[in-house]
Amino acid sequence: MTPTNLAALQTLFALPGAAVAVQAAVSLVLIIGLYYLARAMQLGGDVRIRDAAHARELADAAISGFAAQDIALDRARIGALLRDAGGRVLVVRRHGSHFVARVLPDHASVRLDRQFLTLAAGEPRFGAITLELGPEAQAWAASLRRLGERA
Amino acid sequence: MSVARNLQAPDLQPIDVVVYAIPVFILLIVIEMIWAARRAPEKYEPRDMLTSLGLGLGSTIAGALVAGAIYAMMLWLYAHRVVSLPNVWWVWVLAFVLDDFNYYWFHRTAHRVRWFWAAHVNHHSSQHYNLSTALRQTWTGFFALSFAFHIWPALLGFHPAILLTVAGINLVYQFWIHTEAVQKMPRWFEAVMNTPAHHRVHHATNPRYLDRNYAGVFIVWDKLFGTFEPERDEEPPRYGIVRQLGSFNLLHAAFHEWTALLGDLLRAPWRHKLGYLVREPGWSHDGTREGSDAIRARWLERNPPA
Repeated sequence: MTPTNLAALQTLFALPGAAVAVQAAVSLVLIIGLYYLARAMQLGGDVRIRDAAHARELADAAISGFAAQDIALDRARIGALLRDAGGRVLVVRRHGSHFVARVLPDHASVRLDRQFLTLAAGEPRFGAITLELGPEAQAWAASLRRLGERA
Repeated sequence: MSVARNLQAPDLQPIDVVVYAIPVFILLIVIEMIWAARRAPEKYEPRDMLTSLGLGLGSTIAGALVAGAIYAMMLWLYAHRVVSLPNVWWVWVLAFVLDDFNYYWFHRTAHRVRWFWAAHVNHHSSQHYNLSTALRQTWTGFFALSFAFHIWPALLGFHPAILLTVAGINLVYQFWIHTEAVQKMPRWFEAVMNTPAHHRVHHATNPRYLDRNYAGVFIVWDKLFGTFEPERDEEPPRYGIVRQLGSFNLLHAAFHEWTALLGDLLRAPWRHKLGYLVREPGWSHDGTREGSDAIRARWLERNPPA
């Protein structure tokens, strides 16, 4: 490094906040590096809902005490729809290598397209999920029509 | 009397131990990723890790921006100190223990008072529990006034440089306990120190484990103040928050509880607004929500102790 370059670097580091900015920039590069390393190592896996018992466990984990009575699993096992004795309907969807769930507030965002049921929990961040439920889709769609009207 | 004149050791400067520890953090994360790749790839999720490390970076920047103000407040307190404690080894030990005691109460408050929870929640919102989770730190701790728990010993006579240095050591200690790669430490260690097993309980959403094990370094505080819960082999922890975030969005992770709190404050009747600030997370004026106490109580009804 030439003396001119060194002097320029010294001037740069003398600026208020420069050290923090450089540290942040280096950290950002390292973070992105770790992210791509994790991807290259295929971390995260490909999680699926194994069976109805697994879906029941996920529902109880999401809402403690949620005792599912009716369960419909997506054909690819990336989501599920569960109903308890009180009529609450829980939609479970994959989130990374875990699952998240929300109680459906009403039927406003339920859409049926043959064997596919699209549902949204009314939260933009949660988004909508389309479940392939096979012949069960129509029965579930019909049963959800009165959702949100009980209260 | 000026602050500078009243300092017993004005040349004493805090050591930013966290900065020195960063290369070790990165190395340990890579080692844990290799462990996960071989044993359980689902223990790491690249997008979750990216969010956690992004929160860590943002927290470092936020911390650097306010460090001067916090140090100035500590110097002011130190200028009005009760006694002058010397810069000797036992004062450092005392400061470390006192800071850990303060950390316990800060942390307990951060889980039991929604105002502080809004700043702390992002540390818990990952459904994963790995070393990257340790760096998932707040951006809004200064705004929430969390520093108040840590700076008061300056008034007793602890030099601010000593206090900031031991607080950094405390934070560095807590890094390694965010892992599933370590099961149990020797019994004597588990009895006294905070460990991966104890802290896994703290990050768990299982009703039995909710709001337990607030310790930073010494688990004895939880045993002393009745908040200790051991990890049970038959009940593996499930991580995250009661209402899982369901998003890897960095800004959402940093601010979601603040926006939810603001919404509740705007909607609540005037006589209940303060409740949303100072009551526990999950509290609502109309009783339509459940906090950790109610969740645990209902769970205990379904699963009475043998």
